[in-house]
Amino acid sequence: MTAIAFPLSLTLAYAGILLICLGMQRHWKQLAHPRLPAQLRPACALLGAASLALAVYTCSFIWHPGMAWVAWFGMISLAGLALLLLLPYSTRMALGLPVAGAALCGVAAVWL
Amino acid sequence: MKQRSLTQSMSWLHTWCGLLLGWVLFAIFLTGTLAVFDRELNVWMQPELPTRAVNQTLAAETAQRWLEREHPQATSWNIGLPTERAPSLSVSTGEQRRGVRTLLDAQTGEVLEARQTVGGNFFFRFHYTLHTPRNIGIWLVGFAAMAMLVAIISGIIIHKKIFKDFFTFRPAKGQRSWLDGHNASAVLLLPFHLMITYTGLVIFFLIYMPAALDVLYDGNRQAMQRDARAGSVQQQATAAQGEGRAVRGENTQAGGQRGEGRGEGGQRRGEHPVENAPLPPLADFIAKGEAHYGAGMLSALSVSNPGKADARVTVRPLLGSRIELTKGESLVFSAVTGKVLQAPPPSGASQLTQRVMAGLHFAQFGGYPMRWLYFICGLVSCVMIASGLVLYTVKQRKQAKGSRTFLNIAERINIASVAGLSVACVALLWANRLIPAELIGRGQWETRVFFGVWALSLLHAALRPVFVAWREQFYAAAALCLALPLLSLLNTFPMDGMRVGVEVTSVALGLLLGWLAWKIPASARSAPARKPRAARLAGAEQ
Repeated sequence: MTAIAFPLSLTLAYAGILLICLGMQRHWKQLAHPRLPAQLRPACALLGAASLALAVYTCSFIWHPGMAWVAWFGMISLAGLALLLLLPYSTRMALGLPVAGAALCGVAAVWL
Repeated sequence: MKQRSLTQSMSWLHTWCGLLLGWVLFAIFLTGTLAVFDRELNVWMQPELPTRAVNQTLAAETAQRWLEREHPQATSWNIGLPTERAPSLSVSTGEQRRGVRTLLDAQTGEVLEARQTVGGNFFFRFHYTLHTPRNIGIWLVGFAAMAMLVAIISGIIIHKKIFKDFFTFRPAKGQRSWLDGHNASAVLLLPFHLMITYTGLVIFFLIYMPAALDVLYDGNRQAMQRDARAGSVQQQATAAQGEGRAVRGENTQAGGQRGEGRGEGGQRRGEHPVENAPLPPLADFIAKGEAHYGAGMLSALSVSNPGKADARVTVRPLLGSRIELTKGESLVFSAVTGKVLQAPPPSGASQLTQRVMAGLHFAQFGGYPMRWLYFICGLVSCVMIASGLVLYTVKQRKQAKGSRTFLNIAERINIASVAGLSVACVALLWANRLIPAELIGRGQWETRVFFGVWALSLLHAALRPVFVAWREQFYAAAALCLALPLLSLLNTFPMDGMRVGVEVTSVALGLLLGWLAWKIPASARSAPARKPRAARLAGAEQ
């Protein structure tokens, strides 16, 4: 667990930020599939918050609680920046990154 | 005078605070970011030293053998143990900070010769002194840090749509993009910017705000620190016995106790000779220290009065087992009996607060994953500052009124302080390999190269057209970063993980700098394409 906790935390932090971003009107229009009902928007924000909370939990596998919080702040900040940079260039990549991250963690978990 | 709105006056404050101190702040942030890996750079800059992992027990045995043979009469020995980030064994005699360090091969006990170098410590020291005399530097940096706080707060006030524009970035739109990039790198990393700036100020709180110390303790720092420690009452009493540190108090007491039998009670040690007593193996104290600090958490041993009956062994921990910065903390044993004479007292609430803040700034905790987070966050801070500096010139260039002369000067200084400093930093690493290893005063030459290159970058920026100068200097920095591994091919020193890591990081930074340079257009006219550099910077220098 500790070996994949770092990439997993990063993935969760990014996914959380992405979902919160989807919860915003402007970005929902930009990112969500047009056929998705708009009622899903608040649910995304909620799910995002949950994902961020989960990221603190996975951080605590690597660090003591105090340090985990410090790292968590760093991770969500950098995840937000990564999303910001991806958005104008490739929405597909912005949406696909957490999937790729999760897949990577899965492979690592099986392999290790 | 015309009444200005809050936003207007804050905007004015943000611009001037940010621009005038931004030049200094960029240097502070960039060197601070590099100093995250100061030890790794130290290792890279002394390629002669082996870095294979050596266990500390063996190293302590080796050091003890060498010191007993070479310096049996010394009043104190200091042993720097090999650790994960500083894998060499060093010994010195005399006062801990003053003595000349000798490097030993931990296995054979042979003296190792390594080149003299300023090492990664250069960046660390520059970060808080700007290479001026220490106290002046600390004040200058403190002033810049205050300006940074002012810029952060005023920046928040003048930012119109913090939450709405949270994830908004529109590249290739000129000034718009620069503003987006500056805002985003500032807002998304706001916790980091605030934390690193504020905690930076807290480290030297006694220098910046000595009033309370002067009034309550008559300027006696040690008296204040004694009170700040929670420690048991008994410990405070012993500490108060000696006039200075608790260690000294214990020392006198221990000496006195032993002396009683010989009728020396109450007299100071040193006036009468103390019996000789063989020093037990120092390796034993590693286990004892680890029992207190945890396995692998020791950084140094020192022995006072080795070979005497009142010998004491001090065990120093590695920083970073917790956030709290425990610099200078130690565990003192009687060498002969092996008993703990003094354990570090736990911090009281106020001291703990200060030390946790200092620890947050020093980033010694949490191992390499944390170090990388700090490093990347630090780079984004640099980008934030740099994009702000560029934003000023982009804005001014569009305005018809206003002084062209000042704009021109600002642009040149921007180039030298952002691109020029990057070149100078990597030039320091080149100097480390190219200056002959035997040269006397080598460290000074390395420093001269650093400042020489930086000065040349200013000259270059002054002589070349603005955009060309930006481009050439970034290309120079990129080329030096990319070619850094070639330097290691010139000699035959064995490579290892840590040094390879330094070079890989350098290549990655080189690629980003190169891309940055490539995206800068030849002139302002050919340039909507130039504008999204804020974004690229934001992504790039990471």
